[in-house]
Amino acid sequence: MRIYLDHNAGGPLRPAARDAMARFIAGNAEGNPSSVHCSGQRARRLLEQARAEVASLIEAPARSIVFTSGGTESNNLAIFGALHNPARRRIVTSTIEHSSIIVPITELERRGFEVIRLSVDRDGKLLADGNLDTIDQNTALVSVGLANAEVGTIQDLRPFSQAAHRAGAIFHVDAAQAVGRIHVAVEDSGCDLMTLSAHKLGGPAGIGGLYVRPGCTLAPQLLGGPQETGMRAGTPNLCGVTGFGAAARETMACMADEQERIAMLARLLLRRLEGLVNGLHLNGPREGRIQNTLNLTFPAVLGETLLIALDLEGIEISMGSACAAGAVEPSHVLLAMGRRAMEARSSVRLSLGWSTTLEEIERAAEIIPSVWRRVAAAEPLSGPREAEPCS
Amino acid sequence: MSERVLVAMSGGVDSSVAAALLREQGYEVIGIAMRLAPERPPTAMARRRGTCCSHDDFEDARRVAEKLDFPFYVIDLRAEFETRVVDNFVSEYLTGRTPNPCVMCNREIKFDRLWQRAAALEADFVATGHYARIERDEAGRFHLLRARDESKDQSYFLFTLGQCEMARTLFPLGSLSKTRVRALARALGLANADKPESQEICFVPQNDYAAFVTHNAPPERIRSGNIRNASGLKLARHRGIHQFTVGQRRGLGIASTAPLYVRAIDAETGDITVGQRGDLVSAGLIAGMVRLADPEISSRSEVKVEVKIRYRHPPLPASLRILDQDRAHVRFQNGGPAVTPGQACVFYRGDEVLGGGIIETALES
Repeated sequence: MRIYLDHNAGGPLRPAARDAMARFIAGNAEGNPSSVHCSGQRARRLLEQARAEVASLIEAPARSIVFTSGGTESNNLAIFGALHNPARRRIVTSTIEHSSIIVPITELERRGFEVIRLSVDRDGKLLADGNLDTIDQNTALVSVGLANAEVGTIQDLRPFSQAAHRAGAIFHVDAAQAVGRIHVAVEDSGCDLMTLSAHKLGGPAGIGGLYVRPGCTLAPQLLGGPQETGMRAGTPNLCGVTGFGAAARETMACMADEQERIAMLARLLLRRLEGLVNGLHLNGPREGRIQNTLNLTFPAVLGETLLIALDLEGIEISMGSACAAGAVEPSHVLLAMGRRAMEARSSVRLSLGWSTTLEEIERAAEIIPSVWRRVAAAEPLSGPREAEPCS
Repeated sequence: MSERVLVAMSGGVDSSVAAALLREQGYEVIGIAMRLAPERPPTAMARRRGTCCSHDDFEDARRVAEKLDFPFYVIDLRAEFETRVVDNFVSEYLTGRTPNPCVMCNREIKFDRLWQRAAALEADFVATGHYARIERDEAGRFHLLRARDESKDQSYFLFTLGQCEMARTLFPLGSLSKTRVRALARALGLANADKPESQEICFVPQNDYAAFVTHNAPPERIRSGNIRNASGLKLARHRGIHQFTVGQRRGLGIASTAPLYVRAIDAETGDITVGQRGDLVSAGLIAGMVRLADPEISSRSEVKVEVKIRYRHPPLPASLRILDQDRAHVRFQNGGPAVTPGQACVFYRGDEVLGGGIIETALES
């Protein structure tokens, strides 16, 4: 039995999404939603039905959702699309964002934009005090995440959205990790743009969405057709869209129960691990966090080794981000939260999801401490090497 | 349950076939690629194709693991490699010596750091694609032996292995020829079967040691000086002793009737002494950091051995005397050419590696 505790990287397909996609493929999958004929109209109905389902997940009007190829494209569209006013040369973001926000914004900095990166406290919480003044009349875009993928911290975005709107800047919220895990409504966050990702909530990978507030001006980045109200040219990925819609519907239907169950399992796992792993530290706040996410510093081990050792035992977790070569890098989020490099190297992320069971958690709670003890004994972190490995 | 072996995979044909053979023999194989050298910009990266640690090489290794269906992980040992291998490499060159980073990497990374990782992952063995053999005698002692394919033999780089390390190390290629290894790779359908050999040092771009040292050294530690002949006559200026190695002929920039070779490097004065080929022969050497496979050698006064003083040099008959616990005196039977401080001096008896050390000084008499 493999135990999958990496839902923040992408969860397994929900049965509802799988069934919807299977039906789509098994049925007549032909038809371009832009075509005039009956097949085209049928395809269009599927597309618009899914759009309505995804929109209602964040309490947005159906037509405000632009389908994209995923969270990364949505973030790129939001960032590059928001810079259409040449008088506004400033971008405000934070130090703990996903790489699909960090990298485009760093590229814009290279191209001459002024970038302000707001820092966070030890819990990964953005501080409004003293930071709001940076959002001024020169600011084109404020881009921040709602729930952090690595530590789970949920931000209170109200002050930032108000400051952005006062300054006339576009306010973008990356909600890829938050949607489906907490109640998210576009009105609550006051955003102009919101990034969604299907596979974080049990839909397929390769499909996402960007909420665009009606009336918000955004410059499309993919040109060449009228699809998605001109915001994203190209024939949509209808199979993916179908799966996204079904996953959104299912997520909404089960959310209250599911989130309570996941939170209970995560608390149980944390309590058991804290009891057995001396010096274990939970990164991020105890409250005000997406409850499925446990970012943990394990004393005296490298996260890299723990991750591999657990994988060999059938427990799948993650750490920071993978480099192009496939090696893991310590989390930039933990470093931004003031952790030392060594602490970041000793930290891993466990993220639960809709498919996680009590049995899996009880098993994980047994295996993880014993693997940790073995790794800590075999591979000293620093200092002189241990006695010869002879036995 | 089958024994678990952690195979260090570079993406080359040797370590790939090593992994495949172990899997055939029924071991539970875990492939590990080590990220050692610091990242380089894409252009330099492209130039480094064919050496280890590039993304392409990791992908080659990953494909082999997928094909043969065993788990594969890339691990990050850049920090350890930097402090234990690269820093040593740079500082050796700056002090006028010619280091052998492969010996250091085997000692410090593959058979130490990687071993700890193997233990953490409950592996019984570490395996590599080295061409060398480990045999166990009736008394239970392990012996490091030359590879059967003498042209590929890499036992020279492995002399630091002690009993502990050998007991838990596998060299599946030790009895195979390179031709046979390539044939096996083709038979297994491995995409890298005909991948060219890596000849260079993996972390030095374009094999340009001097540029690497210049780039990685504090400028005040670069020792410039003069090139002199044996009688002390100044022939030219040079811009750093790290650009020279004993026995070097090319790149001296001096016109001469007979070819000139570097005889000695003096880190104190910055002098490079050159001479003719015949001047390069030494009577013996002193080696430091000596490791012995068989501790009994140290108790005997003098042992007849053959020594290799560079990887590509033929073994030379010599007598060996252990001075104290980690220094040795080696006297060549017929003189030794281009004895180079910093290089390994490895002691053989027939096919067996008795031990070795790092050359400290050449002895004139």
